[in-house]
Amino acid sequence: MSNNQLILTDVTKRFGGLTAVDALSFKVESGQIYGIIGPNGAGKTTVFNCITGIYKSEEGSVNWRGEEIRGMTPYQIVDRGIVRTFQTIRLFGQMSVAENIMSGRHIRSSQKLWHGIIHTPGSKRDELENWHKVEEQLDFFNLSEFAATPVGSLPYGIQRRVEMARAMAVEPTLLILDEPAAGLNDKETLVLLETIFKIRDKGVTVLLIEHDMDMVMEVTDYLTVINFGKKIAEGTPTEIQKNPAVIEAYLGSEDDDDE
Amino acid sequence: MKEMQKFGYPIFFAVMAALPHLLDSRWQAVAITFLIFAVVALSQDIILGKCGMFNMGQALFFGMGAYTTAILNNEFGWSIIATIPLAILIPAIFGALLAGPIVHLRGDYLLVVTIGFNIVFVQVLQNNLGGVTGGPNGIFGLDSLSFLGFNLTSQVAVYYFAFIVLLLTLWLMRNLAGSKAGRAMHYVREDQLAAESIGINPRIYKIFAFSIGAGIAGLAGTVFATQYSAVSPEAFEFIQSVLFFSIVLVGGSSVPGVLLGVFVMFVLPEIFREFATWRYFVFGFAMIAAMILRPRGIVPATFGKIPKFLIKGGSHVE
Amino acid sequence: MDIFLQQLANGLTIGSMFALVALGYTMVYGVMRLINFAHGDMVAASAFVGLTIYTEVLGQAVSLGAVIVIFLLSAMVMAGVGLVLERLAYRPLREAPRLSAVVSALGASLVIQNGIMLIWGPRMRIFPELVPQVYWDFGGVVISLIQVLILAISLVLMVGLYLFVEKTRIGAAIRASSIDQDAARLMGINVNSIIALIFIIGSSLGAVGGLFIGLYYRGITFNMGWQYGLYAFIAAILGGIGNIPGAMLGGMLLGLFKAFIEGYVSSTWADAFTFILLILILIVRPTGILGERVAEKV
Repeated sequence: MSNNQLILTDVTKRFGGLTAVDALSFKVESGQIYGIIGPNGAGKTTVFNCITGIYKSEEGSVNWRGEEIRGMTPYQIVDRGIVRTFQTIRLFGQMSVAENIMSGRHIRSSQKLWHGIIHTPGSKRDELENWHKVEEQLDFFNLSEFAATPVGSLPYGIQRRVEMARAMAVEPTLLILDEPAAGLNDKETLVLLETIFKIRDKGVTVLLIEHDMDMVMEVTDYLTVINFGKKIAEGTPTEIQKNPAVIEAYLGSEDDDDE
Repeated sequence: MKEMQKFGYPIFFAVMAALPHLLDSRWQAVAITFLIFAVVALSQDIILGKCGMFNMGQALFFGMGAYTTAILNNEFGWSIIATIPLAILIPAIFGALLAGPIVHLRGDYLLVVTIGFNIVFVQVLQNNLGGVTGGPNGIFGLDSLSFLGFNLTSQVAVYYFAFIVLLLTLWLMRNLAGSKAGRAMHYVREDQLAAESIGINPRIYKIFAFSIGAGIAGLAGTVFATQYSAVSPEAFEFIQSVLFFSIVLVGGSSVPGVLLGVFVMFVLPEIFREFATWRYFVFGFAMIAAMILRPRGIVPATFGKIPKFLIKGGSHVE
Repeated sequence: MDIFLQQLANGLTIGSMFALVALGYTMVYGVMRLINFAHGDMVAASAFVGLTIYTEVLGQAVSLGAVIVIFLLSAMVMAGVGLVLERLAYRPLREAPRLSAVVSALGASLVIQNGIMLIWGPRMRIFPELVPQVYWDFGGVVISLIQVLILAISLVLMVGLYLFVEKTRIGAAIRASSIDQDAARLMGINVNSIIALIFIIGSSLGAVGGLFIGLYYRGITFNMGWQYGLYAFIAAILGGIGNIPGAMLGGMLLGLFKAFIEGYVSSTWADAFTFILLILILIVRPTGILGERVAEKV
């Protein structure tokens, strides 16, 4: 099935009198690394929330692999292969890194409810398999030494990796990253870049929001630029860099900051 | 800590197994009560401690199991042992049914609703619904335990019955901890939105937690009915639920914590019988102090129990 | 028709008492997001305090002046207890997880309830007959002076509180603290003082409610607080938690509901029906009749 396309058509989200996302349309092709950029407050995270089921857009369509997913619950959407990370990092703070990543194996596990009461050889095998998958993610993200460490006590940069590991443990088809480079230093950002390429090599499509322009230009294949909830441009990174409307949007907001 | 875990449980089990032969009749009864309430408190821990739901009505399920045994034995002549499956199933089903419409409620509201369920239950018992609940006086004159033709009337027999039920409960909880469902409860408790966003349907696991907790409490109810050969509504008033709720939070959401909590709440007052009237007064202060000093409980929950092959050198293990 | 009017009268009376007590719950919950479980016990305590003031301080005098003294002194005492309660049991847990504060509140409830028992004994005591037993009979419907007084005084107090909260600056500060404590602080509002004020007002109103309970029912026991407290909290939820007019409305409605159930069905089922009502409301309209005034932290 190479029809792993995410198509947004005229998606509109309002909060009372405020239109946060305004008739937004874009298409993410299978295997792309697609970026959503725009000044602060442009509505980017809101768009992601509409895709992943945290919000239901008032109008428009969110079509994934030919199926309308607008209005589904977050866990139904995960079940269909879309997983996201959060801008503010939402890990299970008291639990260890390994247990956090294990949560990503939840929907891949074949255990039934009643296996919580009594184990069977089948459920024990399932447990073991999933912990081994956790091990794979620990290795991939270089987190092995922190496997048993409570996640809340770890530095920010490592927590970000844990969140991505958790998302990858689901074996998603589309990975949505909300400002993955936020709070990372240059070295960490480079590692992130390589990681995203490795993820794409595994066959996962990546959709991300980012502010770090250097990183965006390096990593993305295609971009949509949003301002005030509306699309103002789309194109390859090189095209976007030269687009006057984009420059206006960013420069314009810089001017405001200077005042 | 790990040494304590390795030796703590075997020592505990050995002591508890030998205990009835070391105690006189009065203290045997206290020990049985300890065991029964420990089971109820552990069942409460599943709902409150592990799944994070503010349930203040656990006495309801405890009572449901007790009354199921009492009614089946008294009205229909079933032997105590025969009543066990229903004493577990009926509360478990009710747990799921009652939880369904309310698990999405905000914590404080859920709390008040569960108190409400408890109060309704007790009032139903007192009003002798269907003519079988025996009204305010309850039902008495229940049979004693009989197993394979042996009539086990001694208190020591009841003790071992209760002990086996506790062991069973601990085994169930261990299974739960090492399962997909058990972990899901923790994830839902810690951050429901994150759990949903990783593919977990919170509703299912919340209802499941309620159901298991209810079933286990129901089983404890059977033992309770056996101990007294009677049941009455006062034993299941919502003040009992308040106590179970407090035990889990003050003791901490761990097996040692809960057992400690039950010991302090129910056994200590027996030791200090002379101070009976001061009991709850002192407890009140103790609860306030405990929360100020140890908001997560005396022996809080610990995480990080992962397979050994994942723990490479240099990791921080508690 | 007789039953209806009688229960209407009874319901308004009971409802007034519920409303007074509910106000304490709703104000504390609105600002601190905490169910003050000890509130019901404080209401009970005020009845006992009033009893003692009557016997020890006033030498069992019965007069209008005596009544006023009892009410004022009891209110002051309970306001003081409320302040101590807040300081000792709740303030240290402002930053702690919510459940810890709940347990602390339960502990405080046990302390106060058992404190009453230790001081005044476990048996029922009789509250003095401070109001003359005057009745009016309207063709089978009996209304007492006590009922009229309770309703009248409660209304005055509720209107007074409403005006205070809606029309004064301090009232605005209270409403601001309900919506967002941090923002209120940043605006220069001394939230600690507001919280202290809320406990003073809530405890005083609760004290008046407790005295009314003593006057109306005459028999008082040390553990009557929980029963009342629970009903009052339900009333607060019914009207919309955090919403002061809501608590008043909720209280009156709940009182009427309880009276009608007792009149038309049976008093032994009153509790059950009340809770079923609560459960239905929470499922159907969880924000209450007049809507919540509590900010949700998303």
